[in-house]
Amino acid sequence: MIGNYEDPRKTFGAAVCQVGFDDERIVLLSADSGKSSGFGPFIEKCPERYFEFGIMEQTMTGAASGLATTGKIPVICAIAPFVTARNYEMFRNDVGYMRQNVKIVGRNGGITYSDLGSTHHSLDDFALAGMIPGVVVLFPQDPNEIREAVKAMLEHKGPVYMRIGNAKQENLFDGGFEIGKARLICQGKDVTLVTTGSTTAEAMKACKSLKTRGIFVEHLGIATIVPLDEKAILESAAKTGLVVVAEEHYEAGGLGSRVAELLACNGCSARIIRLAIPHDYAISGPYDEVMAYYGLDAKGIENGIKRKILTF
Amino acid sequence: MDCHELKQIAAKCRLNALRMIRASGHGHMGGAFSCMDIVTALYYAEMNCDPADPYKADRDRLILSAGHKCLAQYSVLAEKGYFTKKYLDTYGALGTKLPGHPDMHKLPGIEANTGALGHGLAIALGMAMGIRLDKTDARVYVVMGDGELAEGSNWEAVAAAAHHKLTNLCVFVDFNGLQISGRVQDVMDFTPIEKRFASFGWNVITIDGNDMKQILAALESARKMQQKPTVIVANTIKAKGVPFAEDKAAYHFWSPDEEELAQAEMFIKAEAGLQEDK
Repeated sequence: MIGNYEDPRKTFGAAVCQVGFDDERIVLLSADSGKSSGFGPFIEKCPERYFEFGIMEQTMTGAASGLATTGKIPVICAIAPFVTARNYEMFRNDVGYMRQNVKIVGRNGGITYSDLGSTHHSLDDFALAGMIPGVVVLFPQDPNEIREAVKAMLEHKGPVYMRIGNAKQENLFDGGFEIGKARLICQGKDVTLVTTGSTTAEAMKACKSLKTRGIFVEHLGIATIVPLDEKAILESAAKTGLVVVAEEHYEAGGLGSRVAELLACNGCSARIIRLAIPHDYAISGPYDEVMAYYGLDAKGIENGIKRKILTF
Repeated sequence: MDCHELKQIAAKCRLNALRMIRASGHGHMGGAFSCMDIVTALYYAEMNCDPADPYKADRDRLILSAGHKCLAQYSVLAEKGYFTKKYLDTYGALGTKLPGHPDMHKLPGIEANTGALGHGLAIALGMAMGIRLDKTDARVYVVMGDGELAEGSNWEAVAAAAHHKLTNLCVFVDFNGLQISGRVQDVMDFTPIEKRFASFGWNVITIDGNDMKQILAALESARKMQQKPTVIVANTIKAKGVPFAEDKAAYHFWSPDEEELAQAEMFIKAEAGLQEDK
């Protein structure tokens, strides 16, 4: 229900279990991460299709590829850096290059393990996964989108990487998720705001506040980073002439980089501002405070836009 | 098929490999020749496989974890009729279906895209899990290099295969004792290989990996094992079949001139009693 808050891991796990109970092609793999990924009910009900690997992300990824060659649909889920960076060559070669129907889900992604240090952050996962040819990269923006994205990724034939967070998320939307499609959250004429996953809810608050100050934002919510909805972004950028991208990722290699490349390569003269995490090892602390520190809460996004509008 | 016939086929396959090396001017000859007898035995005497139906669901699978030994797999697949031998002449050419490390999307019979070492065993154990779920009798075979054992990811997979009791998984370690920069035991010593696998809970068999009779006996024994995955530590000779190259690290990757190639062909034909059959 719109306005309700949910734990994204539980939402994700329940969604996978719901499809997996009846679809015998679905197998779940764990690197000592099954229960915390919400796979508990599946472990109880379908133990023969659940494979525990212990803390062995490399082999789990290779094995997922092998399982996929036999027609199974393996889903692996663990803390995001360990299923993107730790196992990168297996992701690239065994899943990507072999073009296998494997779904890799990085939970507690981005900076959500904000007080655990940079070893547990994945501020480069869009860059890593997105650099592997043929991999779809998703970051759903609310629990309802997580449910829809799980269904869509399991129906999609080919490798998918999906990031989910940890902090409770508000239900913002009721349906309408489609792989590769941007969501037009609100129309505006002054600036195009592009957000993904965790920054969308805060950005929606920023848009409301800016409207009261006479700044009309066109807000595009991007749950699919690869393949990007290029048409939606280019059309909006051509209309407003200023694009602000806010994301929980490094400035380099994330959605902002992809949008900048898109605009530059298509002769779009719109200016672009990236609100993201600086390319450094991040500060530690409570998640909300860390996001505010980097200007990725509602106030930070609003200020980021205002500053640019005033100097534009 | 008896051992003499298998040896003759392996000799023809070595000639196929030389044909590819002649076409491109180079290739990973040493390791391909050390495991050629094993790969030949697998496709001709052990595996449930059919070149006319290469993707049948209940097929046995061979994963060449040491993907650089692909001259061996290409040679045997071509000999068995998985694809026309004309392809052998495209080895190294622009757009070839036979890249220097195998690509499953380019050729029938190739089951995984190996090349980066330390990947094949994990992929194979996933296949073995999938096959077991499907309740077929299919088996998964892996050929690993000995130098490859230094990749830590292998030992994750060794542990996982034993933990999950994948009795339908059988691994050959092509223990030719040499890697690109010298003796394996000098570069990074993983001997005794048998004890290491055994300590992880594997069934271990040691053989002369260039002796067909011993290869077949080991495979039969592995098939009967009902509790553990099996590793066959195959003592082999690098560049086996070409006397001037045998047991020399320099022949890991070979860029021969025509005279060397002709000599190598002569040795192989003479040893197997093959006639000129071009």
